[in-house]
Amino acid sequence: MNCRRMNSTSAAWGLETMAIAYPPRTGKPLRRARVPSWLRQSVMEIVLLALCVALAFKAEGFFSPENLLNVLRNVSMQGIIAFGMTMVIIGGEIDLSVGSAVAFSGCLAAWLTGFLAGTQSGLPLPLAVALAIAASLGAGFAVGCLTGMLRTYFRVPTFISTLAWLTVLKGASELITNGFPLTPFPDWFNFLGGGYIYGIPFPAIVFVLVFVLIHLVMNHTPFGRSVYAVGGNAEAARLSGINVSRVKILVMGSVGLLAALSGVMQASQIMSGSAGTATGWELDVISAVIIGGTSLMGGAGTVWGTLIGVIFLGVLVNGMTLLNINEYWQHVVRGGLILIAVLLNLAPSERK
Amino acid sequence: MKAHTLQTENIRKEYPGTLALDNVSVSFEGGKIHALLGKNGAGKSTLIKILSGTVQPTAGRILLDGREIRLRSAQDAFHQGVATVYQELSLVAGLTVAENILLGRWPKRGRSGDRQPIPKGPEIGVSPRSAGNWCQSPLSMLLDWPALWTQAQAVLDSMHVALDVHQKTGNLGVAQQQIVEIAKAMSFSPSVLMLDEPTSALAQHETENLFQLLRKLAAQGVAIVYITHRLQEVPRIADQIVVLRDGRLAGALNAPEARPEDVVRLMFGEVIRKERPRDLQAGARTVLAVRHLSRAGSFQDVSFELHEGEILGIAGMLGSGRTELLRAIFGADRFDEGEIAVAGHERDARGTTGVPARAHTLRRTSPELMKALGVAFTPEERQQQALVQCLSTRANLSMSSLGRIARRGVITRAWERSAIRGCVEQLAIHIPDLEMPVSSLSGGNQQKVVVGKWLNTKPKVILLDEPTRGIDVQAKQQVFQILWDLSRQGIGSVVVSSELEELLEVCHRVLVMKKGAITGEVRPHELSADELYVRCMGA
Repeated sequence: MNCRRMNSTSAAWGLETMAIAYPPRTGKPLRRARVPSWLRQSVMEIVLLALCVALAFKAEGFFSPENLLNVLRNVSMQGIIAFGMTMVIIGGEIDLSVGSAVAFSGCLAAWLTGFLAGTQSGLPLPLAVALAIAASLGAGFAVGCLTGMLRTYFRVPTFISTLAWLTVLKGASELITNGFPLTPFPDWFNFLGGGYIYGIPFPAIVFVLVFVLIHLVMNHTPFGRSVYAVGGNAEAARLSGINVSRVKILVMGSVGLLAALSGVMQASQIMSGSAGTATGWELDVISAVIIGGTSLMGGAGTVWGTLIGVIFLGVLVNGMTLLNINEYWQHVVRGGLILIAVLLNLAPSERK
Repeated sequence: MKAHTLQTENIRKEYPGTLALDNVSVSFEGGKIHALLGKNGAGKSTLIKILSGTVQPTAGRILLDGREIRLRSAQDAFHQGVATVYQELSLVAGLTVAENILLGRWPKRGRSGDRQPIPKGPEIGVSPRSAGNWCQSPLSMLLDWPALWTQAQAVLDSMHVALDVHQKTGNLGVAQQQIVEIAKAMSFSPSVLMLDEPTSALAQHETENLFQLLRKLAAQGVAIVYITHRLQEVPRIADQIVVLRDGRLAGALNAPEARPEDVVRLMFGEVIRKERPRDLQAGARTVLAVRHLSRAGSFQDVSFELHEGEILGIAGMLGSGRTELLRAIFGADRFDEGEIAVAGHERDARGTTGVPARAHTLRRTSPELMKALGVAFTPEERQQQALVQCLSTRANLSMSSLGRIARRGVITRAWERSAIRGCVEQLAIHIPDLEMPVSSLSGGNQQKVVVGKWLNTKPKVILLDEPTRGIDVQAKQQVFQILWDLSRQGIGSVVVSSELEELLEVCHRVLVMKKGAITGEVRPHELSADELYVRCMGA
């Protein structure tokens, strides 16, 4: 029996991570055993590095601080959600609703700000904005937790329930906004999505903070370690005295909360709540997680890998734009590269 | 009746670093049932993998009826007449019995005259698919249901088994599913039928039915190879005994003449069998009390008490409700009536007899709660229910005690390692690297990881369901040693096992469970294993 590492970055990066592996299957020893393990385990890092080096030579303006910060800002919004999605997928679940959740929380924040600061309530604008943000985040968390409860108490697969949320939240956003963007925000609100601290985009700072936080949670807390156990074998986890329901509910709640956070920042960036934002994000986010080496079977994956996956996708899009590649081609290339990346990650464990 | 013979000549299999099979030459004759024995790692499974085509030998020849054959894949082996029934059933629950028997070789509708002939008589084989003619008529892509029913029925008839081919396989019991699995193998009209631990999931009378079926098949000239860990079955079923040890053929015996001691010596070389140490004392304090526990369809009105440091056995056959009882106590399943009392912490204990005043009396339990109260549970299916196979040994060992290891909610690898080091040493878990996936460990070591995982929670009571299942005799002795060590530390154990002689060897006290009720209590020195078997099975 052999449970092979796919893309664990632990050795190469000195981070505490767990082995990425598929469920055990009988297999012959790996033929490619002569490739050093650190090399095999950091395929995506090397690919990313190679891509950056190639772009530095080929694409004018790629290797400038402005552009790199730009990449970082562009990936932040989706990246924040991707870290939550990593937890969800390691926990053996999926969330297909994050795109709509982003739009919904932006619209909710905009509508609540307008409502609370309006003539009926008459709250001061800063207070109204703060309350609206808090309510949006709370709503995102609650929706996620509800999905988790449906999963644990009624055994509704998250694939189905979040598919339902995808439509429900999209519709709710349209209802809130009546189909037109709401623009009740004061100018300073733009800081959350478009501001800078010492020249670094604020969303990028949040992105890094969320990465550190989720990384620590997944590797250094009983909760995070339980997520691996639950995703790897829920029955064994339950019989080990782990509260599987709580883990699943909290994991789904976390991704809901992070999607809402992303939604608020997105609303801040475009200074409005619009039902049309973030359409199709769920697939980008899941792609980044999978490229990062997380197993869709659950129980295996790293937050670090997702960071690499997110940045890889961001650099790719940025590079192709700089190279003036036709946008339709960009989609094709992107999809193809996702396939190749996943093959690179899976090949060692799947090959017979 | 034509009797087939399968021979291996100097079969050798090298894996990097190990020699799994070392020039093994055996002969399996048609008409006979061969028990293939050997402890874990002896090379049994490698030999079976080679003979079933899933692994290629490094050197050596395989001869079927004197003719050399090459088995390129599992499918190839089936078609050449070497059929294997694996321990894990490979049936599709949603399909009918007939579809499963002929899985992948379903008869299709050709043009009207194109139907396949229905095989008759002892040659029950089903010719490999009539595919290839699909382009002749669109109809030929459709399943020929009547032919499917008849062909499957013919296979079952030839085995003299009564089973409805129209039934959904998922609705059958394990024993019947096993018969379907064998029928599937027999539909290839094999010369050799290999069965890997076919009785591990069967109850006593089902095992007997299986044996009768195998004897019938042997009488048709099929060479049957039967792999088992249950030594007590061997004299009842085998004509020949083939023993492997350390990758070599240790010996072959004629079953009727073989004495159990001879077989054991061939399997293990010299085994040191441990006697239960004399210093083990059960304390007076009750650590776990079960009162009038019932669960519809599983067990009724079960009451017992477990004392500090006591090893209490529950002897019962499969289906006696023993596993269900243990799971209900731990909260893995619910119970309908009754209550469970767990002793409080040391400092809570007031009296020295009975359940202390501050005991927790529970009418509903959950694994989480029982863990908090100091109760541990090692389930029967350790691979599916106790371990997360794709995680490392370290992660599995710390899984139950994450909260305990964490300081202020934070875990570091160093703390984790130091927390589990103790039990790795205490349990003598042989492991080169704690970061290796737990799936790479042997059965015995995996069982130790399961026990170790719970020792990290500092339990007062540990419930063990079939702790020695599927592990070799030496690993078993080590598990016994662990139980005795736990007893010395004052930990009470409840051990459920169908290996009754083991219970007599290990326990202070044994409860007899039959048809969901406790029917008696025995002390190990009072009776022999045979008598205990009789009590467990008796009317």
